Amino acid sequence: MKRLSLLTIFLILPLASCSKNEEPIFEKKVFCFDTMMEIKLYEGTEEDVNKIEEIFLRLDKLSDNYQARDITNVYTLNQTNNDVQVSSDLYDLLTVSYLASNKDAKYFNPMCGSLSKLWKESLKNQQIPAESLITEEVNKIKNSSILLKNDNVIQRLGEAEIDLGAIAKGYALDEVKKYLDSKNLNKYLINGGYSSILLGEKNSDDGYYSVGIKDLDNYSLNLKKCFVSTSGVSEQGVKIGETTYSHIVNPYTGSAINNFDAVVVISDCGYLGDALSTSLMMSSIDEIKQVEASCGVKVIAIKDSAIVYKSE
Amino acid sequence: MDKKTLRNDLILIGSLLLAAIIAFIIILVTRTKKNLVATVRVQNQVVLTIDLNKENDKHYYVDGTNGQVHIHVKDGAVAVIESNCPHQDCVHMGYIKESGRPIICAYNSVSITIEGSSSHDIEVG
Repeated sequence: MKRLSLLTIFLILPLASCSKNEEPIFEKKVFCFDTMMEIKLYEGTEEDVNKIEEIFLRLDKLSDNYQARDITNVYTLNQTNNDVQVSSDLYDLLTVSYLASNKDAKYFNPMCGSLSKLWKESLKNQQIPAESLITEEVNKIKNSSILLKNDNVIQRLGEAEIDLGAIAKGYALDEVKKYLDSKNLNKYLINGGYSSILLGEKNSDDGYYSVGIKDLDNYSLNLKKCFVSTSGVSEQGVKIGETTYSHIVNPYTGSAINNFDAVVVISDCGYLGDALSTSLMMSSIDEIKQVEASCGVKVIAIKDSAIVYKSE
Repeated sequence: MDKKTLRNDLILIGSLLLAAIIAFIIILVTRTKKNLVATVRVQNQVVLTIDLNKENDKHYYVDGTNGQVHIHVKDGAVAVIESNCPHQDCVHMGYIKESGRPIICAYNSVSITIEGSSSHDIEVG
């Protein structure tokens, strides 16, 4: 009898050590926000995956500033200075953008659309925009704003265009989290194009995900139940001479030169994390520390493939 | 319990332990040594899969939403070497050979992901 018990234990031991299935039961890739969003659910139903996809596709349409879609979106707002009735989610997205830029994310500005376009068009041809054009765009930003009126009515004032690209994916992840919480689902990984990530719990014993950071070899973070927002120059940055110009532009100076190569923000809010990671690319280390203290986020700043600042 | 029984028990336990360790190692090795496969999607549809362990110095042409994307496989790595997209971000990414970071040509709605081994669950950046 004793032998039989021992036999059973030793046969079960190796099987038990390998039995926890870490693969998601539902996985879907969705092409939107000019990138690939990835949904991995370790619990839930196919309906949940479809609902998350729906959230992504809707917010992608709403935040699009390059073309008109079948609903009133940012592009529509950029065509007029008149009152525009928008959906409640676009109104909310604009509200949080405005709040973030006026509070802790001071170098993030939703009115940077035309300045960003100016830089993108020039960098495409490996050129820096003329100083006069940059000054013109900065002045447009200074003299423009968004009026958030009652009943979901928006009025864009001034000539600067709205661009919510820096914050829309984070906001979409906030909406996804609300949905997952409402369904009491905890085990998931929602990847917003590798720059905005929503982590639930992994389907493992401790629930932690191993999160690597691009260009940092042999470095990983163990994280769960948080948002990870990253801004960086490695993919969209353009090197002219010895200087790397970014797609992230400073709304006060018009410059596209950032202080860091990448900034990672770990937070409990997707839109705020995204706005902060953008803003902190142009901040000093002292400013990063101030933001950490006021927002309760963790920050990693990277320069030349090395960590130059990391939260305690 | 006599000495003989004890010795036999120890042999049995030792053998089972050894078998368990061997089984564990086999499972671990087969789990991590997956074939690296590059999956090419246009929008959400898979249009091509390439076994990076088998194919070498091969060229593929995929029709994206706004034009053709030229893909090259070399030494177990894959790259977009030509695209009509305005910013050429996909071309600038160069060759990738590990899972974690896809190549994305947003203009043509083309993505290339590698499924296989990675030391992380996800890589940000």
